[in-house]
Amino acid sequence: MALIEIDNLSVTFLSKGHKVHAVKGVSLAVEARESFGLVGESGSGKSTILRAICGLAPVSGGSIRIGGQVLNSKAGKSFAARVQMVFQDPYASLHPRHTIDRTLSEPLAIHGLGDTDARVMKALDDVGLPRSFRFRFPHQLSGGQRQRVAIARALMLEPEILLLDEPTSALDASVQAETLNLLNRLRAERGLTFLMVSHDLAVIDHMCDRILVMQHGQAVEELTRDALATAQMKTDYARSLFAASADRMLAG
Amino acid sequence: MSLLSVRNLRVTFDTEAGLVEAVRGVSFDLGRERLGIVGESGSGKTMTGRAVLRLIRPPGKITADSMVFDGQDLMAASERDMRALRGPRIAMVMQDPKYSLNPVMKVGAQLMEGLRQRDKVSAQIAYDKAIEALEAVQIRDPERVMDAYPHELSGGMGQRVMIAMMLIPNPDLLIADEPTSALDVTVQAEVLAILDGLVRNRGMGLIFISHDLRLVARFCDRVLVMYKGKVVEELAAKDLLAAKHPYTQGLLNCLPRIGGPRQPLPGLDRNADWAV
Ligand SMILES: Nc1ncnc2c1ncn2[C@@H]1O[C@H](COP(=O)(O)OP(=O)(O)OP(=O)(O)O)[C@@H](O)[C@H]1O
Ligand SMILES: Nc1ncnc2c1ncn2[C@@H]1O[C@H](COP(=O)(O)OP(=O)(O)OP(=O)(O)O)[C@@H](O)[C@H]1O
Ligand SMILES: [Mg+2]
Ligand SMILES: [Mg+2]
Repeated sequence: MALIEIDNLSVTFLSKGHKVHAVKGVSLAVEARESFGLVGESGSGKSTILRAICGLAPVSGGSIRIGGQVLNSKAGKSFAARVQMVFQDPYASLHPRHTIDRTLSEPLAIHGLGDTDARVMKALDDVGLPRSFRFRFPHQLSGGQRQRVAIARALMLEPEILLLDEPTSALDASVQAETLNLLNRLRAERGLTFLMVSHDLAVIDHMCDRILVMQHGQAVEELTRDALATAQMKTDYARSLFAASADRMLAG
Repeated sequence: MSLLSVRNLRVTFDTEAGLVEAVRGVSFDLGRERLGIVGESGSGKTMTGRAVLRLIRPPGKITADSMVFDGQDLMAASERDMRALRGPRIAMVMQDPKYSLNPVMKVGAQLMEGLRQRDKVSAQIAYDKAIEALEAVQIRDPERVMDAYPHELSGGMGQRVMIAMMLIPNPDLLIADEPTSALDVTVQAEVLAILDGLVRNRGMGLIFISHDLRLVARFCDRVLVMYKGKVVEELAAKDLLAAKHPYTQGLLNCLPRIGGPRQPLPGLDRNADWAV
């Protein structure tokens, strides 16, 4: 049994007379300790799938199971401790009037975990933020610094599943490398499972064992890492993504 | 004469915890070309871009020996002059587009606002122009997006709406802060082609801030590399992937590659001397 099982999932937003079919019958399964990548067209429903797993999207069909248990809409405390998400827009997901310290320590308080000071410092160190940033507000940080706060927050509760939506798109090459190395180390040490979205096929290739390519709310093609690296894709769309990524091939 | 000339630009924040020097003496000239700015997270790229528009919120302070846009002294300009420049002459695509759009106003109304108020065009013409601008950036269902609020857009759709909005008034200078970081590679190529066309055909100047070194190397003409608030290297974009400066080289070494090994990516030994 896979840890994350998504079966024929559909998500439909209703917004003033418009029905937006954001996800149309997508199935995927992520094994425990596996790292699974979602790539594809902007607007194709990748973020919506991650949000649906967190109970934050209007599921109109299909099912999502975590460890064999069907998700109900009211994701409780224990779910939060197991599954954490790093959102695509760190600015929107950080409370503007909460200091970094409060953002990082609040989940600990809610879950009754102690040792707050040491854990907050450790989290800042882990994502390469100076400890002196602890009492800053989100607007006093650069874009990449905010993204690192969002990653640090997701790690506070030591979750078992991480949903990562473009976790390094606002980071420079060196901080991206440190962050990807940290994520991979935690995955190995703690046996974490990742479901991650990225537009950078080199990042996906580095991080993921399997990949699902999406377009128009639908799954287009599933690929193994080897199939990606050796251009063994079957669909035109997956091939076009690969072709447009020629600048990040090993030889190039 | 260059379109924009900046000499010894500094941006500082006087915070409770002490003085933060976000930009420390940046100088550059921009013609009707594509100038890339790359560099470490927190190195002052965004603050440099915002300073050109004099959009630094208090307690932030801007100083410069000179900052001249198309013959106009930006340091001496009144706030009223700056408002007239922002948008029609100098536009900026913000790094957090969904945060920069008005959350309680429909996308369509935001796109049409300038056309209606500044250019005084009819509602129908403004609507048609807005739809056209959305189609140009590859938005699949522009009518629906016109009627949506920013939170109803995907990350990359928000980015494209912001780009469309900034391009509608035909600015002479576009400062684009990570404008394509949330776009898939094929849509990204279309958006870059639009920007490229505006530089080539209309002589727009473009400042392109990005973390994607490989993208900057193939898209831009020249590149500034920033580190801790300073420009540490300036070079032709085609030479970026063979950069000499140890910081730039270090950055390139950190990049993952398709088909590359799975071992940890090389890190970067930061050297305090690079930015003295
Ligand atoms: N709250 C909402 N209300 C209405 N439509 C929505 C809402 N959230 C998302 N959508 C729509 O669902 C579709 C899929 O969005 P989603 O954010 O999942 O795309 P994505 O694949 O993550 O794209 P990107 O790569 O650009 O981030 C888009 O058309 C978007 O406009
Ligand atoms: N309001 C503020 N108060 C104090 N420091 C600030 C403030 N705003 C920005 N800074 C600091 O200024 C520095 C430069 O920020 P800037 O946003 O220009 O970085 P950047 O190069 O754009 O980084 P990124 O690539 O992460 O977006 C950062 O170290 C940031 O923490
Ligand atoms: Mg998304
Ligand atoms: Mg920035």
